[in-house]
Amino acid sequence: MESEENRGKQWRYGHEPFYPHHIIKQVIQISVVLAILIFLSSTVPPPMLPKADPFISPDRIRPDWYFLAAYQFLKLADGFSFLGPWAPKFIGVIGQGAGALLLLFLPFLDRNPSPRPGHRPRAMSIGVVIIVTYIILTFWGYYW
Amino acid sequence: MSHIMDSPDKDNREESRKEEEAKAKGKALVDIVNLVSLFGFLYGSLDNRLDFDEALARQLKKPSPNYRTRLESNLLACLGGISLVLIILQFATGILLLLYYRPTTAEAYQSIIEITNQVPFGWLIRGLHYWGANLLIGAVILHMIRIFFTGAYKSPREFTWVSGVVLFIITLLLGFSGFLLPWNQLSYWTTTVATDGMSAIPLIGETLKFFVRGGLEVGQLGLTRFFASHVVILPGILMIFLAIHFLMVRRLGIADPL
Repeated sequence: MESEENRGKQWRYGHEPFYPHHIIKQVIQISVVLAILIFLSSTVPPPMLPKADPFISPDRIRPDWYFLAAYQFLKLADGFSFLGPWAPKFIGVIGQGAGALLLLFLPFLDRNPSPRPGHRPRAMSIGVVIIVTYIILTFWGYYW
Repeated sequence: MSHIMDSPDKDNREESRKEEEAKAKGKALVDIVNLVSLFGFLYGSLDNRLDFDEALARQLKKPSPNYRTRLESNLLACLGGISLVLIILQFATGILLLLYYRPTTAEAYQSIIEITNQVPFGWLIRGLHYWGANLLIGAVILHMIRIFFTGAYKSPREFTWVSGVVLFIITLLLGFSGFLLPWNQLSYWTTTVATDGMSAIPLIGETLKFFVRGGLEVGQLGLTRFFASHVVILPGILMIFLAIHFLMVRRLGIADPL
């Protein structure tokens, strides 16, 4: 154990001690985030909407921004209604569940040993496509 | 011990006695500090048994890698830590909100109005919780994207990634369950639509929908269950997986910079 600590790691670009160098960087970054948070909380209050009424449904039902893509995907899955009445909801929900499972087991699906982006063109392109799709679906879900 | 015999290691004994004395002097100072501070008192007696000082010193000496550029180093190495800080902040502000929030269909909306308008600094605590939730989801998503693109999930860190995705899903569920608690039109109907989607899951779908809603419609029992999930069940699971995640990060070290 002791020898393991003393050996240290031979990083590609050298290393710095965790304390104080790395800690001070983290403290600065966290302070910036807290400043943003306090600024937002003090200037943009959370929305104050009308009270829930189970008898009147509003014109627009819109989840928080991080669920907009999933919500839009559910709406787009309505296009599969020609397969039968069961299809839209099934494809919309199960498709996302399958996506979550793929994400969960990604390290066991991606057997390429190199971590460098240049050596992983397929993984990189799939990642970019997923992110761009997510962003497009989010905006689509917001404005449609 | 006999002092009459002249042995070659007499000098050694002399030296070690001096060392002992110097140590005792140092310890006396530490003991005085420990006595006047409760923390020192507890910490000192714990440290005698558990060697905290040594462990802490070892952790602080741990090297952390440089990346190719300063910018890269700052952008890549901060997102996980920022997520953790935001989680701690969510716990703190959530506990404060819990002191005034009333989880009933009749009173929930009214209690949010009171928190915002009457409780001292209630508007700020609610605002911090609301914006902290949004920033937390953003930070977690960015953290995940960064780990993906730098290939930091590869062997031997596969299970660190798996625990991280579980944390991500729990964070989303916390957002989903917290969304209903203000009991306004948008949160009520969004939850109705989202729980309706659960019925599409084969075999267990209808049962799950009924279980989550606490009935055929979202009502008092549904609010109770969402409240319980948001303040006890999900935070508990989150803490367990956070511990697993950090232990694995600690044990396996940070992935090599590219």
